[in-house]
Amino acid sequence: MTVVEPAPSAAYVPELDQVEEVGPRRRRVRNLGTWIPAGMIALIVFACFLGPLVLGLPRPIGGNILESYLPAGSPGHLLGTDPNGNDILSRLLNGGRASLLIAFTVNVLGLLIGGTLGAVSGYLGGAVDTVIMRVLDVLIAFPSLVLTLAVAQALGPSMTNTILALTFFSIPAVARVARSAVLRLRSMPFMAAAELAGTPGWRVLLRHLAPNIVPQLITFAMLGMGIVIIIEGALSFLGLGIPAPNPSWGNMVAEGQLSLSATPMLVVWPSVALLLTVLSFNLLGENLRARWGGR
Amino acid sequence: MSETSLPTPSAGGQHSARPDDGRPLLSVQDLRVTFTRGGRRVNAVNGLTYELAAGRMMAIIGESGSGKSVSSRALMGLLPPTAEITGSAQFDGRELIGLGEKEFRSLRGGDIAMVFQDPARSLNPTMKIGLQITEAIKAHCDLDKKGVRDRAVELLRLVRLPAPERRFNEYPHQLSGGMRQRVMIAIALAGDPRLLIADEATTALDVTTQAQIMELIVELQERLGMAVIMISHDLGLAASYAQDVAVMYAGRAVEYAAAADLFGAVRMPYTRALLDAIPLLERGSHELLPVTPGQPPDLSKLPKGCPFRPRCANATDRCLEAPDFLEHQPGHWWACHHPVPERAVLAGVADAAAAAPVPAGATAVGAGATAYTRAGATDPTTRKGATR
Amino acid sequence: MTTATTTPRVPVDRDPRVSLTRMTGSPVLRLVVKRLLMAIPIMLGVTILTYWVLSLIPGNAAQQLLGPEATPEDIAQLEEQLGLNRSGVARYFDWLGGALTGDLGNSMVSRQPVSDVLGDRLPVTVELVVLAFVVSLVLAIPVALAAAHRPNGLFDRISMFVSTAGLSVANYVLALVLVLVFAVQLGVLPAIGYTPLSDGVGDNLRGMILPSAAIGIPLFCFYARFLRGDLVDQLQQEEYITTARAKGIGPWQVLLRHAFRNSSFGLITVVGLNLGALIGGTVIIEQIFSLPGIGQLLLQAINTRDVVVVQAVVVIFALVAVVANLVVDLLYAVLDPRIRHDSR
Repeated sequence: MTVVEPAPSAAYVPELDQVEEVGPRRRRVRNLGTWIPAGMIALIVFACFLGPLVLGLPRPIGGNILESYLPAGSPGHLLGTDPNGNDILSRLLNGGRASLLIAFTVNVLGLLIGGTLGAVSGYLGGAVDTVIMRVLDVLIAFPSLVLTLAVAQALGPSMTNTILALTFFSIPAVARVARSAVLRLRSMPFMAAAELAGTPGWRVLLRHLAPNIVPQLITFAMLGMGIVIIIEGALSFLGLGIPAPNPSWGNMVAEGQLSLSATPMLVVWPSVALLLTVLSFNLLGENLRARWGGR
Repeated sequence: MSETSLPTPSAGGQHSARPDDGRPLLSVQDLRVTFTRGGRRVNAVNGLTYELAAGRMMAIIGESGSGKSVSSRALMGLLPPTAEITGSAQFDGRELIGLGEKEFRSLRGGDIAMVFQDPARSLNPTMKIGLQITEAIKAHCDLDKKGVRDRAVELLRLVRLPAPERRFNEYPHQLSGGMRQRVMIAIALAGDPRLLIADEATTALDVTTQAQIMELIVELQERLGMAVIMISHDLGLAASYAQDVAVMYAGRAVEYAAAADLFGAVRMPYTRALLDAIPLLERGSHELLPVTPGQPPDLSKLPKGCPFRPRCANATDRCLEAPDFLEHQPGHWWACHHPVPERAVLAGVADAAAAAPVPAGATAVGAGATAYTRAGATDPTTRKGATR
Repeated sequence: MTTATTTPRVPVDRDPRVSLTRMTGSPVLRLVVKRLLMAIPIMLGVTILTYWVLSLIPGNAAQQLLGPEATPEDIAQLEEQLGLNRSGVARYFDWLGGALTGDLGNSMVSRQPVSDVLGDRLPVTVELVVLAFVVSLVLAIPVALAAAHRPNGLFDRISMFVSTAGLSVANYVLALVLVLVFAVQLGVLPAIGYTPLSDGVGDNLRGMILPSAAIGIPLFCFYARFLRGDLVDQLQQEEYITTARAKGIGPWQVLLRHAFRNSSFGLITVVGLNLGALIGGTVIIEQIFSLPGIGQLLLQAINTRDVVVVQAVVVIFALVAVVANLVVDLLYAVLDPRIRHDSR
């Protein structure tokens, strides 16, 4: 018999590397690190969805061309107007609403489809796993932005098509994360215990696997929100996302680029909005990851 | 095993040649280590006191979590910076506690070296054996490139690694567990240490290899004149190889004596309980092992007084007041108000203890130790499992 | 005398894996073969997918080329000339046969051979990507090492916050900010345009600084975070780090020789996996800076429905991603002794 030092039970303390360095101060910092970005996200969502109504802002399109290029702080136009005389704040908030809606929908769809595919693939293994993973390998090797460009062009720019194109792109990434999480869980004793107890496969998936991979997927989705918002912006920037007169952060940046030296603020406002939103999601994702462990 | 002519590892040579001024090599006084975890303070080491003379081999015995490993890492400054360390540990008259990282660095691998439990994890998997040794040599000796290499091969030969020249260019995963642990020992010897700490150095190895590695350590200890602290949870191993034994419980020493004295006349009820839990061939075939009731204490809320009190059969109200760790008999220290009366211990352990330290190649005793470990270690989970 | 009499008889081994090993010799070689075999279906899948997606695009190139006044007869004639009247499957196999022999067809718009067009454009994109990688790694490695030297120290916290912020910047926004500052405000670097290498290395590089920074800076943030995380994990969890420290070597040496050495394998993987995404990112940057690379070519081709060119570019992008993954796997096998000596 090889005598190995037994693992200490949970109540029974320190094996050296178990002594994790999280004092009360660090935990407080961690809490702040979660709540500040979460609060920022709530604020941004609130502003984008209810802001235009609450503030009584003008419509984001069909502005008066005579009121173009008004500076920030002009009466009735807090951030000024764009070359078409539209209120920038209104466009910013309405564009944000589109970005958030797209990002949210894409992530939910990606999580559901990709997460299920990955979990089933990892759980069943064998031929099913091989087939699913090879197909996903193709999708991953396929340059994602090019794919979305082609799909967007093929289907014509619109919100629905943007969502479809981006979902297509997010599925393989989510599936891979879910699959590797499942593979790691599969080797754990409680999985063997569940299977030996005769638990049916679907029940093992739902009751034993799902609760354990959900934290990881949620963390991934937070980071995914940021990525999708950026890529959606890129599509709109290239004129292949939200179609032109309607605002989105991406096409606002593209529009502002045309007069970059004369009116840089046209680029700055949507850029700042984009940065703050993505940063909040990234910070929240990083913090959840640190909290729930597992890199 | 062919006996190669073993060169002295360095010019300075053998520490045993040093004049013995009667001062202990290592003197630990009231050492305390505290971790703060999730707002709770965990007292991993709670006033540990012991002394170690130059050239002696001492075993520190205890269950996991008794603080044996933490306390020895504290001596080398290897604990994470969040650990609070108080008390005193003097190495050759020099205070170790409170040294800065720079000062520790010259000490580590130089005067004090360490061998760890799991040789599979303790060697860098992506570095050649040779590089891992030469790096340790370069940290402590001023030699040219060839000199470093020669010394590395010499060290590998010293730990009896077969074909050292070839192994020099191999990676850890190409070696067996026992060979890896020999490499770890060679690395530890690189700086010509005066104290070698073997932290469960044989625990991860199979029993035969365990005996070989222990014999190697004993042989090196005698040849090089270094002191060895052997950390283990295995009483049989301690009885077979160590000269002195310290038993730890809940972060402090509870009994300390020369191995023969300790196993010949155990006084601390905790040590007694550990010994009684060893299954021996002399016992009847279906006889139940005596079980120590209760759990090792939660180090974040130790019981009042003697930490062993809640589990001790001899405990009285007097034990609510912590007993001091005192030299009650010449050379025999314990911390108990109600020591067990002196009586002969089970024959096997006493025999093994009497034979310690083992001369290299004394396979009879090696086999004796093997018998103990094979029969089921003193490890608490095994014991529980055996009686369930 | 035959060798059979002198060598001991080896029992016949029926395990196919063993015979594969014997056939291919070393484990590394076996890995190469295995990975190459896996890459083939992926590449086929990519080309089929591209063909299918492009067939969804409404309106065809013949219509596009001849303009709205073209008669149906004209269109039919051109379609026949271009082979557009044949079934998709037949056209796919034609294309595949050509592609395997190096003939990617002719552009439907300019009638130039696609391989010539790619030959002109590819160097620009390659230079952009290489520079972006250089920028990101040269910045990321020292920052990550300095941050991991004192985990949770001041430098660590600041650099990790900055890199999270950097990761949150879209590269097109960053590109515009860089143009605004360095071209518009300071006027030290050109805002757009490309000078071929043949017209002078200095001018060429001046034009590439902003585009490669726009791609490289977010990448730098990503690598710095990844590397720092991996280093700190090792420092806190791995026993061989404790061994190294117990040898008495200095903290920087522990970090560089032990932790960084092992983290570099992970870094290589991440860099390789990134290459696919990165090359997609060049599309938008080439558009902003008017660089005549294949990203810009792709956008033009998508807008003119030049299916032949789109197909070629997509395949090149996918090929880069697949080959990058392959190279990473192999590099890993060559560098990591555990894989080099055992087999997978």
